[in-house]
Amino acid sequence: MAVKLEAKPRNDLKKSNTRRLRKEGLIPAIVYGHEKEPKSVTVNSIDLLKTVRDEGRNAIISLEVEGNSVDVMLHDYQVEPIMDKLIHADFYIVNMAQEMDVQVPLHLEGEAQGAKDGGVLQQPLHELLVRAKPASIPEEIIINVTELNVGDSIMVADLKEGKGYEIVEDPNTTIVTITAPTLAEDLDAEPEDEDVEPELVDQKGNAEEVEE
Amino acid sequence: MLMPKRVKHRKQHRTSLKGKAKGGTEVAFGEFGLQALEAAWITSRQIESARIAMTRYMKRGGKVWIKIFPDKPFTKKPLEVRMGSGKGAPEGWVAVVKPGKIMFEIAGVPEEVAREALRLASHKLPVKTKFVKREEIGGEINEG
Repeated sequence: MAVKLEAKPRNDLKKSNTRRLRKEGLIPAIVYGHEKEPKSVTVNSIDLLKTVRDEGRNAIISLEVEGNSVDVMLHDYQVEPIMDKLIHADFYIVNMAQEMDVQVPLHLEGEAQGAKDGGVLQQPLHELLVRAKPASIPEEIIINVTELNVGDSIMVADLKEGKGYEIVEDPNTTIVTITAPTLAEDLDAEPEDEDVEPELVDQKGNAEEVEE
Repeated sequence: MLMPKRVKHRKQHRTSLKGKAKGGTEVAFGEFGLQALEAAWITSRQIESARIAMTRYMKRGGKVWIKIFPDKPFTKKPLEVRMGSGKGAPEGWVAVVKPGKIMFEIAGVPEEVAREALRLASHKLPVKTKFVKREEIGGEINEG
């Protein structure tokens, strides 16, 4: 069951109008996809945030524009980095019968044995690319790390295929690894000589030219 | 101390510090970050000092990423020298930081430890900063 979100059409695309909308708590957005013409709309920023928080990043949203309802997914969004405010959203009209590639968040569960022994848990991959029909996209993928020791890692290939989705990510990508702790001596490593000036790239080139 | 290995020119123009950071505004590698709220030149010494403050507090745990690099030379005229007669001699290296830039990232430590380590690091820097977490839309809102 898709959650509902109300949107209003946006015809005035001027910057001044967009700013006014943002001041009113709305955000400009665009709806496109599945052989439809792109349409500019506005949605309530807080309503969108609540929907995504409750239903997940890849939730199917039933977007109501002027009485017409379309099934969309939040495809992309822009955030103002300093104020942390949502400033724009892209909605993608999904075809429920067609598979699509989406990024699903990866969450770790439990405390790794290696981390208890002093190792450092590192997670280079936070989102996994999966292929699934919109209705079977998982909200998140949970990985249990309790049995990982120092030096161990979990690769994409180690994950089990889930119900209704296929993992598209490169199987050799590391998701989580436990590295040995840094030696105390490395921490305060003495900086190199400050007075040394870096080599000039052009000097070499010029020297060669002169020789010729 | 961080500095380039090879450069094309020994001296550079100062250039303006207008605008916001264009990239590097999201926590990309770690779980927590320190975001600049003002524009400034961060010297290689300040970066090194902040790094030491963080790693000392975190002791052996965690990993630190430094996401800024001092690639801009700054010059200084000797003391008691009249103005003119050309640009001064290169004195050091700075990273140009604009509002929004995530300067340091930390992973592998609890949030309280990361918060304190980044607070200590922020005292070594000439800009106002804020502690940020890995972004998830609709997730926990970052504190100011």
